[in-house]
Amino acid sequence: MIFFLSTALVVTAEVVVEIWLPGRPAYHAGWYNVTLAALAIVVVANGRKQWKAARSSRSRVAILAVAFGAAATGVAGVASGLFAPDNRDVVGAPGERVRVEELGTLAFPLAAEDRSAPVVVMLERTLHAPLEIGARARNAGSFILRAVSRDVVEVEVRDLLGNRLTVTQPSGGVFLSPVLLMQARQTIAGMNLPFDSFNVPAARRVVKAILFTPAEAAVVLHDPSAVGQAAVLFAVDDESDRPLPHHAIAFSAGGAAVHAGDLWLRGEVTSYPEIEVIAIPNIAVVAVGTLLVLGGLVGLGVRRG
Amino acid sequence: MHRYIIWPAVALALALAVYVAEPYFVTQRAAAGGPSGLAGQPAPIFDLRDDRGRSVSLREYRGSLVVMNLWASWCPPCRAEMPDLQRLAEAEAGRGIAVVGVNEGESPQRARAFADSLGIRFPIWVDGAQQYGRTYNALGLPTTVILDRQGVVIRAFDGPLTLDEMRAAVAAVRAH
Repeated sequence: MIFFLSTALVVTAEVVVEIWLPGRPAYHAGWYNVTLAALAIVVVANGRKQWKAARSSRSRVAILAVAFGAAATGVAGVASGLFAPDNRDVVGAPGERVRVEELGTLAFPLAAEDRSAPVVVMLERTLHAPLEIGARARNAGSFILRAVSRDVVEVEVRDLLGNRLTVTQPSGGVFLSPVLLMQARQTIAGMNLPFDSFNVPAARRVVKAILFTPAEAAVVLHDPSAVGQAAVLFAVDDESDRPLPHHAIAFSAGGAAVHAGDLWLRGEVTSYPEIEVIAIPNIAVVAVGTLLVLGGLVGLGVRRG
Repeated sequence: MHRYIIWPAVALALALAVYVAEPYFVTQRAAAGGPSGLAGQPAPIFDLRDDRGRSVSLREYRGSLVVMNLWASWCPPCRAEMPDLQRLAEAEAGRGIAVVGVNEGESPQRARAFADSLGIRFPIWVDGAQQYGRTYNALGLPTTVILDRQGVVIRAFDGPLTLDEMRAAVAAVRAH
């Protein structure tokens, strides 16, 4: 009986830990899931023996509850380990609504009206759930959603007369967004840096933007006023992506406006949420399974007591 | 007795396995559907200025059907479509339909010069931060969105419309 109960508890604990500490690569490893499945089978096989040997109907019910609870929890754990997708990040431009099957639609806000207020992504399902950077993760059945911070660059472009110009991102998530999500990477001077690009159709220009953290900017910039500030390197090409002959590269540190390729460019680095989607064992099944195991244990304990 | 339990237990276990594994197979990121994907949702309200610097907002148009046209001066199809929008605005004046042009990302001076050059007399708003373009998920310019009297998006069109297409869309929305 001790072996049966301890094996059931190990199975349950293993799967509960997957929810408590989600997203570890080990949960998808073959050895981990084979072990979990083997333990669940041992619980069921052993439970059958214990059930046959039980002397009262109350003990039988308790044994059945422990075996079924551990098996259900184990099935949820193995299904998640074998079939669930790896952790992934859902990145949306400000104002974009990203539909994620099963979870609903993630509505990325334009920005907080008050710059100091948190930017909240809404998970639109029957219940609207806010996802805020630093706040606790949200459970959504077989997934956990968590908002984490990423650096994005909001650009403003003007012509040399000071007239504002439209920014487009033909290859971005949102065509008319002036916010660059910086999802690509480029290596410059041995540094692997976030990179993005946008078009300025009115000026027939394509602009590449590379983001430097304050520490990286300090390596390449020798301007004392820029110390401690993130910087954006703008490289302006013509509409066919050919380099312009003169003065087409400039650094914008701390959101300062710079002149390059007949444009005034300003890049402000801001924090914006991205949503981590982490698969977990189905929380409802694990909750019911755990309650059955604990209830069965209590039932057997009372019986013995 | 256990014989009577085994098969239901196996069936229950299989159903459970399907229940817990099924979500992992259908979870995929789907592409956003462009402006027409917003049909049925309330249009966002941003406080903007028009091409003469006056404060404007969609709130002022509650009770009217609104044809919102997103455009920019560098966009040739926008230029081609504008005269038809002006004709629509004239034809529908006084019939509870408002036509509003929303310039995306340009300066008021540029927007006004463009509208004046084409003889546009319907309201021209300036959306410098491209907020409507983003929230309407415009796939390009022009983009036209029709709102009902409560400010809910009824129809949205990607690309230029002819006058006949505009009239048909307005008639359909009016009948809605």
